[in-house]
Amino acid sequence: MPIEVTMPKLSPTMESGVLAQWMVKVGDVVKEGDTLADVETDKATMPMLSYDDGVVAHLDVAAGEAVALGQRVLVLAKKGEDAQAVASTLGKSAAKAAPAAAASAAPASNGQDAHAAPAVSAVAASGRVRSSPLARKVASNAGVDIAQVPGSGPNGRVVRADVEAFAQRGAAAAPSKPAAAAAVSAPRAGQRIPHTTMRKTIARRMLEAKATAPEIHVTVDIRVDELVAVRERLNKQLAAEKIKLSVGDFVTKAVAVALRKHPGVNASYEPDAIVLHGDVNVGIAVALDGGLIVPVLRNADQLGLRDIRVQSETLYDAARKMRLTPEQMMGGTFTISNLGMFGVRQFDAILNLPEVAILAVGAAERRPIVVGDALVPATMMSVTLTADHRAVDGALAAEFLRTLKGLLEEPASMLL
Amino acid sequence: MAELTYRVALNQAMTEEMERDDRVFLMGEEVAQYDGAYKVSQGMLKQFGERRIIDAPISEEGFAGIGIGAAMVGLRPIIEFMTFSFSLVAIDQIVNNAANMRYMSGGQFAVPIVFRGSSGMAGCLAATHSHRPEAWYAQIPGLTVLMPSTPADAKGLLKAAIRSDDPVIFIEHEVLYGDKGEVPDGEHVVPIGKADVKRAGGDVTLITYSRSLKATLAAAEKLAADEGIDAEVIDLRSIRPLDLDTLLASILKTHRAVIVEEDWPYCGLGAGIADRINQRIFDELDAPIRRVASKDAPIPYNRRMEASMLPNVDRVVAAVKDVCYR
Repeated sequence: MPIEVTMPKLSPTMESGVLAQWMVKVGDVVKEGDTLADVETDKATMPMLSYDDGVVAHLDVAAGEAVALGQRVLVLAKKGEDAQAVASTLGKSAAKAAPAAAASAAPASNGQDAHAAPAVSAVAASGRVRSSPLARKVASNAGVDIAQVPGSGPNGRVVRADVEAFAQRGAAAAPSKPAAAAAVSAPRAGQRIPHTTMRKTIARRMLEAKATAPEIHVTVDIRVDELVAVRERLNKQLAAEKIKLSVGDFVTKAVAVALRKHPGVNASYEPDAIVLHGDVNVGIAVALDGGLIVPVLRNADQLGLRDIRVQSETLYDAARKMRLTPEQMMGGTFTISNLGMFGVRQFDAILNLPEVAILAVGAAERRPIVVGDALVPATMMSVTLTADHRAVDGALAAEFLRTLKGLLEEPASMLL
Repeated sequence: MAELTYRVALNQAMTEEMERDDRVFLMGEEVAQYDGAYKVSQGMLKQFGERRIIDAPISEEGFAGIGIGAAMVGLRPIIEFMTFSFSLVAIDQIVNNAANMRYMSGGQFAVPIVFRGSSGMAGCLAATHSHRPEAWYAQIPGLTVLMPSTPADAKGLLKAAIRSDDPVIFIEHEVLYGDKGEVPDGEHVVPIGKADVKRAGGDVTLITYSRSLKATLAAAEKLAADEGIDAEVIDLRSIRPLDLDTLLASILKTHRAVIVEEDWPYCGLGAGIADRINQRIFDELDAPIRRVASKDAPIPYNRRMEASMLPNVDRVVAAVKDVCYR
């Protein structure tokens, strides 16, 4: 059996530790007593020692990430075990254990219902999900977060049938349920809803962002009359293919093009360096019942609007069914959160660390604006960039937004 | 195929093996003049004479030891305990000598012996005469433990036991002696260590042996009729060695298992079997393995109370519904 190494208790009061620095990498041979990593506890930075001999098969967390006590941080293959095989079987569950989560909820373009009653979950008061071994296996294979699945067994145990029903429901739940019905049937008495794994992750990551990143917010108003007209013309052409571009698709495209021009925004902040990413992978926050998730559109700067629409739809669909693969959730370099479909004019999003910026997109709406000395009606959209000031200064944020504004006001310029 | 009783099938097995091999003999209380307390050895004294069908005094430790000694020097004894409840006075001979002789002598002495006899709750025999000794003996490395539930297996397994070069605990069940069943004609030897799927099904695996097979099969039919649950029923036949492969193959299909045993629950046979399954295919289980065993108390004399101790159809059905979350 491979050894799953978890975050040890290195100080009497620690509840989690930040994995400050890995001292090993995948493939390294370690002996008992070797230092695996430096861990920042609430008291000090301590070496985390190996209690076993083995080969590092998989690292679960990146340097700088906070890890709860007992959460797995790496997997050691023992003598005679194939480290790659170990990583392929055990590595997956780890990636799932740390789902990406972004700032504010942003339902997909067709308006996923964000108000449905939260599922009664099998999460025990301790936070442990009661589930049968087979249910866990089936959930893992289907990419279902078992903490989201209501359990029908004794003490709310999640069994195979529950996971299968949950996955099926996800598939059938595309049309949104009427929010009013949920409100009417909701009990008048208060409710105590134990945290799901996803809720805990969101809470931890949002708090981490707010606690560690000094953020700035920069807002611009963008006139999108031309974009709306182009969208209408293109959608007529695409009607035969049953493809309908959303305003959000144009925003995704423009953001990707703008990021290529401003690599300082397409970056991660690490303790000792700013990492400029080569690829432009745009994460798009998707609201789910009781949470949200950020699937990632890879190399979005190289995609046309049609591909952006088609690939986004595939990702939203997988997200709603809880069937995103780890690959579809990882590797984002920038995040977009869109509340435009709710009629929200402007809002601030919270950073999706270690990314250095996130764009909050409001609704395209008719507003009076001043052109020359005249008051004219126009379709306007406000977007707000939240940036981590450790990496992005105000001027860079403003330059990025100026580029973005230019692209969205004159969509043809994205062809340049 | 002939239809024989369990009793006659056992008689045939011993008779055929004694005809085949002059080293085989039968010794025990009442096996000769009285034709056996349960008439299993009927007619054998007449056929084989006093040299090979030997009445022993009430001295289980003594004649078990004589058998072991005879086996060490080349004979192939069958030692009958009138019931396995009486084997308790001979357990030192069985465990320390029969099971360990090959090991302790560095392979110089084999002990090709069969200890056989009745067992179980057989109706108003009370606490001291109703023992189910399978878990006690199944724990001992060096012993083979067999428990046939049908006449065909009774014959085939007993022949395999007599031919084994190591000590075999062959546990019959008193209430099965009169059961009839088809037994293949001619040479019929059932291999040791092979379980038998008595009923195929896809929803739940029922693991049982000996007398409990009947209640288990009846429960399977009731489950199919009333609940639409299709149970696979596996008769272990061989308690040690355990045919784990057959159990695992079935549970990989059904993802749930119930073990039905007349044994006591705590440290009973089913506990050891469940442990083996958990170790191998924990991730395939959709429910904890449940056991239907006898109640954790001395076996009462009163008939109704005794019946309440036994695994029965209702208890098996309830356990199956439990693991199926019905």
